[in-house]
Amino acid sequence: MASNNMAIEEARAIPAFTKGPPLALTSEAARLADVLPHLVVEARNVAAQLQLGIHGRRRPGPGEEFWEFRPFVAGESTSRIDWRRSARDDRLYVREREWESASVHWLWIDFSASMHFASRLAERPKRDRAVLIGLALADLLVHAGERVGMPGETPPLASRNIIMRLAETMARRKPGTFDPMTADALPDTLPIRRQDHLVMIGDFIMPTEEFAEKLARIAHRGVRGTVVLIRDPAEEEFPFSGELEFEGLESNETWRVGEAQEIAVKYRERISAINEELRRIALKNGFGFVKHLTHRPAAETLLTLAALIGGNAA
Amino acid sequence: MIAGLSFLAPFALIALVALPALYFLLKITPPPPRRLPLPTLPLVKDLLGKEREPARTPWWLLALRLAAATAIILAVAGPRWQPQSAVNTETGTGPLVLILDDGWTAANAWQTRIARASAILEQAANRPVVLIPTSEEFPAMTPETATTALSRLLSLTPKPYVVLRATALDVANAILQREAGATAVWISDAIRDDEDKDTIERFLKHAAGRLEIIASPAAAVTALSGINQSGDGLEALLRRAAPRGEASQGLLRAYDDKGRILGDATFSFAATATEAKAKLALPIEILNDISRVDIADEKTAGAVQLLDAGHRRRRVALISGETTDTAQPLVSARYFVSRALQPYSDLREPPRGSPDPIARALEERPDLLVMVDIGTVSGETAAALTRYVENGGMLIRFAGPGLAAASDNLLPVTLRRGGRILGGALSWDKPQRLGAIPEASPFTGLTIQPDIRIERQVLAEPDAELSRASWAVLEDGTPLVTAAARGKGQIVLFHVTGDTSWSNLPLSGLFVDMLRRCLTLAKMQANAGTQAMNDAKEKLPPRLTLDGFGALSAATAKAQPVETRHTAPASAEHPPGFYGPPEASLAVNTLTPQSRFAAIDFGAARVITMSDARAIDFRPMLMVIAALLVIADAIAMAVLGGALGFLRTSKRALVSVTALAFSLLLASMVAPESAHAQTPPPAPELDIRSIRPEDIRSSLRPRLAYVITGDVRVDEASRTGLTGLGQILSQRTSLHLDEPIGLDPARDELVFYSMIYWPILAGQPRPSDKAIRAIDGFMKQGGTILFDTRDAFVQRPGGQPTAETRALRAMLAALDIPALEPIPQDHVLTKTFYLLDRFVGRYAAGDTWVETLTGPRDAKTPARAGDRVSPIIITSNDLASAWAVDRFGSPLFPLVPGEPRQREMAFRTGVNLVMYVFTGNYKADQVHIPALLERLGQ
Repeated sequence: MASNNMAIEEARAIPAFTKGPPLALTSEAARLADVLPHLVVEARNVAAQLQLGIHGRRRPGPGEEFWEFRPFVAGESTSRIDWRRSARDDRLYVREREWESASVHWLWIDFSASMHFASRLAERPKRDRAVLIGLALADLLVHAGERVGMPGETPPLASRNIIMRLAETMARRKPGTFDPMTADALPDTLPIRRQDHLVMIGDFIMPTEEFAEKLARIAHRGVRGTVVLIRDPAEEEFPFSGELEFEGLESNETWRVGEAQEIAVKYRERISAINEELRRIALKNGFGFVKHLTHRPAAETLLTLAALIGGNAA
Repeated sequence: MIAGLSFLAPFALIALVALPALYFLLKITPPPPRRLPLPTLPLVKDLLGKEREPARTPWWLLALRLAAATAIILAVAGPRWQPQSAVNTETGTGPLVLILDDGWTAANAWQTRIARASAILEQAANRPVVLIPTSEEFPAMTPETATTALSRLLSLTPKPYVVLRATALDVANAILQREAGATAVWISDAIRDDEDKDTIERFLKHAAGRLEIIASPAAAVTALSGINQSGDGLEALLRRAAPRGEASQGLLRAYDDKGRILGDATFSFAATATEAKAKLALPIEILNDISRVDIADEKTAGAVQLLDAGHRRRRVALISGETTDTAQPLVSARYFVSRALQPYSDLREPPRGSPDPIARALEERPDLLVMVDIGTVSGETAAALTRYVENGGMLIRFAGPGLAAASDNLLPVTLRRGGRILGGALSWDKPQRLGAIPEASPFTGLTIQPDIRIERQVLAEPDAELSRASWAVLEDGTPLVTAAARGKGQIVLFHVTGDTSWSNLPLSGLFVDMLRRCLTLAKMQANAGTQAMNDAKEKLPPRLTLDGFGALSAATAKAQPVETRHTAPASAEHPPGFYGPPEASLAVNTLTPQSRFAAIDFGAARVITMSDARAIDFRPMLMVIAALLVIADAIAMAVLGGALGFLRTSKRALVSVTALAFSLLLASMVAPESAHAQTPPPAPELDIRSIRPEDIRSSLRPRLAYVITGDVRVDEASRTGLTGLGQILSQRTSLHLDEPIGLDPARDELVFYSMIYWPILAGQPRPSDKAIRAIDGFMKQGGTILFDTRDAFVQRPGGQPTAETRALRAMLAALDIPALEPIPQDHVLTKTFYLLDRFVGRYAAGDTWVETLTGPRDAKTPARAGDRVSPIIITSNDLASAWAVDRFGSPLFPLVPGEPRQREMAFRTGVNLVMYVFTGNYKADQVHIPALLERLGQ
């Protein structure tokens, strides 16, 4: 039950989100660039906070800069011999790029219009929280020796500066390429190979059947992954009352409610059912499922994620 | 349709047709809800199909809005309810004669009159009309069209003077007689002048059956008939044509010539009275500035009195040649003259017997100097008098034995030696009556009472100028009052005495009137030095005139100049207003005290009252209703839109808000009544819970108390000292005390304690007023405060007071304390328990002061005591420090000078003090025990 003061809270979409005119979208891109520096700092803080927590679980193994030399086996192509190393003694060595076989994490963040929503119960829109979690997670993974990339935008990177790199990538998106109005709530095709790990952060507002279908398509390609469901507390709690007209963020439809309080229970039931369904679909397809509410600290979810992904990777 | 309901803009009512349309419009467009973004909308939009329908506008909101719209439309249409007088203009076939009263009395409700008249003219649009305003001197007899009559009607204004209806009614009568089909309507003010009585009766008789009368109530008009000088201000005379039937009140306002309000006075008419008086009591300087008095809220020329110089109060000096020991002061000339002048002037009389009364009187700069029987004025005084007169003063002299005997040059005429006796034993002339007043005399117009007889007079030497100088003469032409200009001033001589010994003139009203005229003249001279007022032939041009509503404006073109001694009421030629130059204006008023008017008796004629015609305008009411409805709508919208969502969601909040609103409403309705019905509040009941446990404990066992000073060391010393003293007391006496308690006199109840120890700190602030009151009450109730300045060590005999002493003095200055003395050797304090000769503490040098004993000092009595315990004891020996012991009974402070038995003596001091406080003067009585026992024979 929402408390009374919640009842008078409003919700907003950022920026003063008007549907249609592309002007809003270019400025939206600019706005992401505005908040990114803060998110970067925050992500670093959160990641640093969690470094210690997951340190013990780091697998022993070759670091990212590790080069393994193994003795040349007769029959191999001579072009593979690393002559510089071999010159040091009498044997021949082959340089093996061990990291090529390390697992790759792909970070996919939903930038669709619905992610630009923030109620007054949450400080930030869902998008910001998604970016924050994504960046921090990338940092954690890189520190754990994994490589992280954004499908279609960056190759898998193992840079210590991964947060910066990804943030720059997001900031440098050309206006129009990421149109919140047309951005997918779930990617159809991604340049991901088998055995890669895909972290999908978004609100997945779509019919569950569509979600199931798309996720199954990804899963069938042998991609493992984790679904991070971002929800605004207002979306979950429905703390509204009175006669209201709700408007969708991705379509022009509206939904008039005579008395919001009366349908709050139904609404909550519906949303939790959908969440449950999303979880079920994710788990069925071998995906991890984490739900994050934007009024909760990011670190909480990040810890769960780290445990989940770390465990999977191991 | 209700009769009399009309609309200013009936076409606006057409908008009412649009109401059903508005109904449907409102029904299908419910109030817009708040819009909120909701990203999860696609997931839930199928949640309730029904709710997605546009919400219906609630029926009550619909009703609210329709009502608001109706109210606004009706308000725009301007409904007014007017009981239509059934003036039937259809009966006649000939011309319609419309008589409209437009005298000053018609200014009351003038708009209504015009409205009624125009309504009648509109009704009679197809008939020829003769419009006769009663003020018209030559009313047109030829009919005109209603339209022209209407335009003429609208240009009419009420006249500011009394209008006689004779001409108008005769003309109307003539028309009615001439044209058989003519009918008449008379819109009357129902007030007539006395002269009009017959005319009106005649007209009513002739026109009977063909005349409709619309009349306003005669009592509605209140007139200000006159302003008179009275003893202490102005007295206004108010009149009505008819009594109103209920007591009514009103307000008079006085203005100066710039329109500033100088004062006001209320008047009240009794229920049956047609006359009332009001008194404007103001200082004379202000009275003299009054130039206009009117009845507030009465907008007629008759409710205004303009005041000219004639109303200014004069400063008059009266000097009499009589001696101080006049045997019969009430028949003396001085008395008659002062009685005549007193009500109209500011009369000053130099005290009798004062040296040089004339010079003294002149110092007060009178407007008028009256000398009663002063024979010769000479030397310096004569010069001063001459100067006074030549500078514009007025000198009135009365003849008398003194004047007849001697003569000086301050006379208007040359007098013959010796007087003239008429009707005396040695004379064959009879006492003379007064003759007609000469034409040029300022006394013109005064009524001469026929019974005035002149028995003696002084005679003027006849010369050519004498008749011109005469203001009043006897029947045989000998002057009775003569006057002559001297410089700017004037000298007037009454050839008789001011008392009744020479004539009975001083007993007559004429005497008063003459003196009043002189007063008027005196002011003229004093003010302007102009001779204009003396010259009857000079005319004064109109300067400002009143209109019919009593407003002053530049003189109308019709106004003719008036004579300087114009006293008649205003007329068409001389409308009311100010005439002549500003500094010497003559005021002409609509009404004079002589003006009489009465209500018209319409007899059997049917009279439609006009007061009913006042329309009730519903517009403001409807506007207010519409505004309230719109506000209600806004609130409803807010509630529906969820802005006040908590009201809807929380039933409790809704209930509490409603309850609050209702209780406020009830309170506002009940409050005035309950204020009346309120009985004196019951005495506050003692709430047992409000008593502090400390107080309960204090009331159960006696305990010593000390005042907390805020200095921890001092407070600790007080506490330990009183504890130590308590231990000693319980060891040595039967007094077992509870733990001592620290008090704040401003906060704590002191009534439980007998003795309070109060150590004084250097530079401590004066206790608060509350504390002072508490201490004062404590001492008055029998408690004792032991002040300890603790400064005996630093005190120097005869030296500067120490800081502690100063602090104590500052505190005691605010208290009511008795006289003090050092404890005398026979004081009961020295014997209450131990026999003591001094009261020591930590120091031994300081004195201890108590209330001075008033009883007789008797060497034989070893102890004296007053009737009560001294409420105050002051010491400087720091007693508490001497008594202070720690838990183990060891003393805490060293003593000064530290004599062997000093601490013991300090304790004994304490014991004696406590016993004194607790037992009072019991020990003083104890000393008598041996004698008592002896008397009992033991």
